[in-house]
Amino acid sequence: MDTLMALLTVITQPQLLLLVGVGTFAGVYVGAIPGLSVTMAVSILISFTFSWDVYPAISLMVGIYMGGVYGGSRTAILLNIPGAPCAIATAMDGYPMAQRGEAGQAIGVTTTMSFFGGLVGILVLAIAAPLVSDFALRFQPRDYMLLAVLGILLVGSLSPGSLLKGIFAGALGIAVGAVGRDPLTFTERFTFDFSLLDGGISFIAVMIGMFGVSEALLQLRHVATPTVRQKITRVVPSWKTVRKHLPLSLQSSTIGVVIGALPGTGGDIASLMAYDYAKRTTKKPEREFGDGAMEGLVAPETANNAAVGGAFIPMMTLGIPGDAVTAIMIGALFIHGLNPGPMLMVDQPEMFWFIVGALVTANCFMLLFGLTGIKLFTKIVEMPRSVLIPLIMLLSIVGAYAVNNSITDVYWMLGFGVFGYFLRHYGYPLGPVILGVILSRLLDDNWRRAIISEREDLWRFFDGVVSSPLSLTLMLGVILVFVSQTRLWSFAKSLLPRRKSPQEGD
Amino acid sequence: MKDNEPDSCTDSAVPANGINSARKPGELVFTAFLCIASVYLLWEAYGIAGFEALSSPGAVPMATTAAMAISSVILLVRAIRLPRARAGVIAESVVPGVFVVFVLLLLAFSVLLKPLGFVPTAALFLVVAIKILGRRSWGFTIVVSLASLLVIWLVFRVGFTVLMPPGIVPEAEFIQFLRNVFGGGRS
Amino acid sequence: MKKTVFGAVSALVLGISGATAQDFPSKEIQGIIQWGAGGSTDTVMRSVTPHAEEALGATIVMQNMTGGVGAIALNHVTSAKADGYTLLMGAENPLLYKVMGLGNKDYTDFIPLILLARGTPLLLANNDAPYDDYQGFIDYVKAHPGEVRIGATGPGGLSSVITAMMNEVEGDLDMIKVPYDGDGPALTAMQGGAVDVMPAVLGAAIEAVRAGNMKTLAVFDVEQNKNLPDTPIVTSFNEQYNTFLPWGSFFGVFAPKGTPDDVVAKLSDAFGTAAVNPEFLALMDDRGFKMMNISGDEAQAFLTKWQQGTTWLLHEAGLTKASPEEFGIARPGE
Repeated sequence: MDTLMALLTVITQPQLLLLVGVGTFAGVYVGAIPGLSVTMAVSILISFTFSWDVYPAISLMVGIYMGGVYGGSRTAILLNIPGAPCAIATAMDGYPMAQRGEAGQAIGVTTTMSFFGGLVGILVLAIAAPLVSDFALRFQPRDYMLLAVLGILLVGSLSPGSLLKGIFAGALGIAVGAVGRDPLTFTERFTFDFSLLDGGISFIAVMIGMFGVSEALLQLRHVATPTVRQKITRVVPSWKTVRKHLPLSLQSSTIGVVIGALPGTGGDIASLMAYDYAKRTTKKPEREFGDGAMEGLVAPETANNAAVGGAFIPMMTLGIPGDAVTAIMIGALFIHGLNPGPMLMVDQPEMFWFIVGALVTANCFMLLFGLTGIKLFTKIVEMPRSVLIPLIMLLSIVGAYAVNNSITDVYWMLGFGVFGYFLRHYGYPLGPVILGVILSRLLDDNWRRAIISEREDLWRFFDGVVSSPLSLTLMLGVILVFVSQTRLWSFAKSLLPRRKSPQEGD
Repeated sequence: MKDNEPDSCTDSAVPANGINSARKPGELVFTAFLCIASVYLLWEAYGIAGFEALSSPGAVPMATTAAMAISSVILLVRAIRLPRARAGVIAESVVPGVFVVFVLLLLAFSVLLKPLGFVPTAALFLVVAIKILGRRSWGFTIVVSLASLLVIWLVFRVGFTVLMPPGIVPEAEFIQFLRNVFGGGRS
Repeated sequence: MKKTVFGAVSALVLGISGATAQDFPSKEIQGIIQWGAGGSTDTVMRSVTPHAEEALGATIVMQNMTGGVGAIALNHVTSAKADGYTLLMGAENPLLYKVMGLGNKDYTDFIPLILLARGTPLLLANNDAPYDDYQGFIDYVKAHPGEVRIGATGPGGLSSVITAMMNEVEGDLDMIKVPYDGDGPALTAMQGGAVDVMPAVLGAAIEAVRAGNMKTLAVFDVEQNKNLPDTPIVTSFNEQYNTFLPWGSFFGVFAPKGTPDDVVAKLSDAFGTAAVNPEFLALMDDRGFKMMNISGDEAQAFLTKWQQGTTWLLHEAGLTKASPEEFGIARPGE
């Protein structure tokens, strides 16, 4: 009974309901503007809500979080500029749809699927949080490393043209991610003795440059071309569409929850992995992936919103943040006099149920705001390009600056913007670059941790992989994906009865 | 080929096809540049810790820059083998005039940002850029630029307290002044 | 919104007079937090600053500026005008930058406005570890060289200092040091069994300890900690630790050198008032931080002593890039 009361706190108190609504609304816009991040918004809210009670403060933050994760898809679809890292995959098929004048439909599907994914995430949080957090804790450095390798193999899916160019782009991304002082030993890497480079290159700056500025530079060629008129009928997807994608959305939500619950990985990796998964498993898409396939929207959008619920799992059960936003929320709980940690669930279970309730409410608001404001949003793309392009550039500059309050990030952003323009022009895919930057530290740090733990002994390392069921599963996943991507696949198929494929390391 | 070339770059997030049957103008130079840069980075990565240990901070950088070097060398060889595309002038297809102008504008922006401050630099940038692209009247250009700059400034500076370089504009005093006017500050 | 715009324009027209030290603060103050959002420096600063704002009657805009182990934030503040409008909210590590080769600036380029609190180091272990106290752990490491995995948070981090202390006191301990980029991730890894033991600050571990998710081997302090009444202090196992303890991480607010004295006094007072706010004290107590609330010469003396002790300890353990002597840091006791 107490549980039910706590769960319904938000709905029964108009003030809290309003705050969740306002938060979600603001979140959608914060998420949509590249460079304004949920992390930033939530950390500002800590000071802003300092003198408030804990419930209103948390309501507002939960709203912003839910709305922000969803909001990134808006600009990804409309402008081909992901508003947030977790919307990178959404741009792949969302933007082609907008170019056909189907932006309304794309946003409609995205919204419905984000809602669905969010719901799955919250459901798992509510009924299986301790179970999932136990599982997440079991990930050892070598498992994180294998996960990163699995992620890097997505390069194949993100490179529609030449795989070799994709490999180059992915490797470039990993190298960019390694710039600066290594966080584990403080050794300088690729700093060329410039102290400016010590802090490394912000990954958001690279993303904004590569997607924002380079897109704007390319659009310069089309200033005179009239913009595509958007049809905004059929925004709410039919039941048939939803039902058709139900199995896929359940699977991609699962990916989202698990990746979200792992400390150190979040919605960005989850959505890319889900996109890749969809591309692999969808037998006959109505349209090709990269050309406006509905599945290419469904998978990443369910996954990144499911990751929200996932990120709360370790936070609520163990006091361990699932991502950057939950890290700040832990700080907020602390400032409001609570003790976020494993005992929170025991001492104050009502806090847990309150957050679950707030998440459900925010999710519903997201559906509401997502399906209503579309007309206004599509107006953005219909703006004259002569105004839109300079504005995109200015927003990119401000956004890159805002990440770390550093002018250096602005230079990098512009540099990568111009470089990205040439990469695109010569057919190098940009997705893998961003993927590489995202995964760089996950791969590097955990590889080193894993091999140090085994005293630099490769043999002991492989022994460890084989003897742990989790690592073994991940390893098999890596091998399977790798083989299926190369010509070895057809070769292995012919040998299928014995299932022995010549394997080379990567 | 040449006609649909620009579209293949812009129509989707990822260029539709990375494999081409003819070499694009400037492709050889670009690939050679990537190749040289990769090899240089590989050398630089080797310099981090050499072959000291599997767990050294240089291990992963060396592996990735090696991957970059190998793939770019193959790409260079492929590019050399491709027949040259029909006499394309670099200036036209790769770097059109308006592109050069905008790169210069962005460069000017980043140089002026610190000494001049965000608000004046951004205002100048928007006015010049919109004027060049839109060729509308000065009135339209200035009103649109300043209005959108004001919105951006309010969202980022006031809403999100992102402290852009103030330069010659006494922003902080100005905001404090506003605070005093509306509601008498924080106390 | 319209009103704001109107006000903005009229204010520009009126013009704004320059600020002088007498009417400080006449505009908002920037507080640059050296570490990322959600970390312990961040939370401490965000919970003390609103009280200081109240005492000061001004707004302090807090920003996280991460990267380069905090050196980027530090350099940013030193290059700002020394007028009291740009403050550094930092932790102890800048005192190690010089010897670790991370930069040529440290808190000697600053005036400490206040040193807020310090954290107590603890030695923690995974629940499945075959030892239950400090002595058992040392005996186990000596009996099984190269088997125990200890979490490390980079050279100069709290865990490297504690490990150096243990090596100094107990003789070289052969352990595998698994690097993490913060005590949070390392403690998470310990609960998952990727690391066996981990030296960490009490505040970061206390909730997990209360829940029984990890066990404490010893408190690295000279007196019993009231948050952990059942955990023995390390000096009860080996008295040699008295040479190094008490030692711990700390948090403070700093202004660049050259800031006018009256401005420093005003800021110092404001933070001093904030630091005795009962709400803030309760928070800090709950997290196991020990309040210091010192400023002026007392704070300066503390910083000097801390730097001498720690840099020489690290130097003797062979963990530094340069000798403290090169930077005129005297040996402790000299």
